[in-house]
Amino acid sequence: MTTNTPPEEPVLLVHAYLDGELDPANALAIERRIAADPALAAELARAGALRGVLRKRLPVQAPPPHLRARIDAALGLTRTDTAPSWRALAASVALAAVLASGSTFLALRPTPDDRAAAAIVAGHMRALMASQPTDVVSSDRHAVKPWFNGRIPQAPRIIDLAQDGFVLVGGRIDMIGSTPVPTLVYRIRQHLISLVAVPAANRADAAIARGSLNGYNLIDWSENGVTYWAVSDLGASELEKFATLFRTARPDG
Amino acid sequence: MSSNDDKARFASVVTPHLADAFALARWLTGDRADAEDVVQEACLRAFRAIGGFAGGNTRAWVLTIVRHTAYSWLGKNRRSAVVVVDDLEAVERAQAERGENLGAPATPESELIAKADAARLEAAIATLPVQFRETLVLRDIHGLDYREIAQVTDVPVGTVMSRLARARRRLIETIGMDDR
Repeated sequence: MTTNTPPEEPVLLVHAYLDGELDPANALAIERRIAADPALAAELARAGALRGVLRKRLPVQAPPPHLRARIDAALGLTRTDTAPSWRALAASVALAAVLASGSTFLALRPTPDDRAAAAIVAGHMRALMASQPTDVVSSDRHAVKPWFNGRIPQAPRIIDLAQDGFVLVGGRIDMIGSTPVPTLVYRIRQHLISLVAVPAANRADAAIARGSLNGYNLIDWSENGVTYWAVSDLGASELEKFATLFRTARPDG
Repeated sequence: MSSNDDKARFASVVTPHLADAFALARWLTGDRADAEDVVQEACLRAFRAIGGFAGGNTRAWVLTIVRHTAYSWLGKNRRSAVVVVDDLEAVERAQAERGENLGAPATPESELIAKADAARLEAAIATLPVQFRETLVLRDIHGLDYREIAQVTDVPVGTVMSRLARARRRLIETIGMDDR
């Protein structure tokens, strides 16, 4: 073997250390070796500089704007009848509002809950398509709550469910009709859950009910003058588990 | 299963990763127009397979399909671009045994690396063998972790580690040589 390059294995560990891939024991061990070996320290500095400059100079860029249309055409979907299109959904929400305002279309008239569900699913989908599903990013509910306090009359109840696998990602404000409502975003594995808290002062408490819209699972329940909606591509039973945990958790903050 | 469900799933699973899909396809084919063809074909494959997607890491799933599609495309259109990396590793070993050391000749300071501009970095990445290139790009540009890269490139995590370290060293050497 060669003598003037560092042996292979510590070099791999240096790179894995840089990438945060080592468990604490191995990380500690390689830190000691780096401290004792200038060649490994230089390797770490170079790899770190390379990673930094790549991120800065060559970020993932937006695809060409016409690519979406090209793919939709290839899939036999036109832009307007694509079910997931946020604009199409927004249009259907607007249409629902128009229908609801007159009495001529009694058979078609959606209930307020139908409209809320459509708006909530639309908000969730729009968030999935955006680069960030939240406007405030934090897993700390004590950071998320004050963000809401500055923006809407009543900050939502925020529960830490990380120990059950549902990690708080952050929050955003969605619109239902002309009402701004707080939305919390949780993540489990790679699934996002939007939890929307809609003020409903006159509403009686109601137990958890399941539904689905546009391929997303929805769960709603009402308590203490608030109707909660949870929407996700997560399976219905896991989403219900999330709802149950949120509902039964002690409000300790 | 209705096709509306498929459309909704496509929108929630595939569409959010279109930028990543296009970027990876461009790194693999080296050309924007070719990358568009690859992404379109990958989206068709993803749409056909979406009913069977069992959930989990959507980005890794999409990038796996993009990579497969890009490799089929390269095999059809640019056979010479796909070099089997096992051979490369054998060549490196042989060089090392003959004392032709790869690590020593050009190891620039980290300050110099940090100053490299986009064009130089792109050119240096383009010279990497495709298996090294994809590993580096998935880690340092897309930000995937080792396990995700292992899933996308269908190799063990240990192989990801060694390819990544080799790819970074080659890139650093290329940047160093450019500067001479």
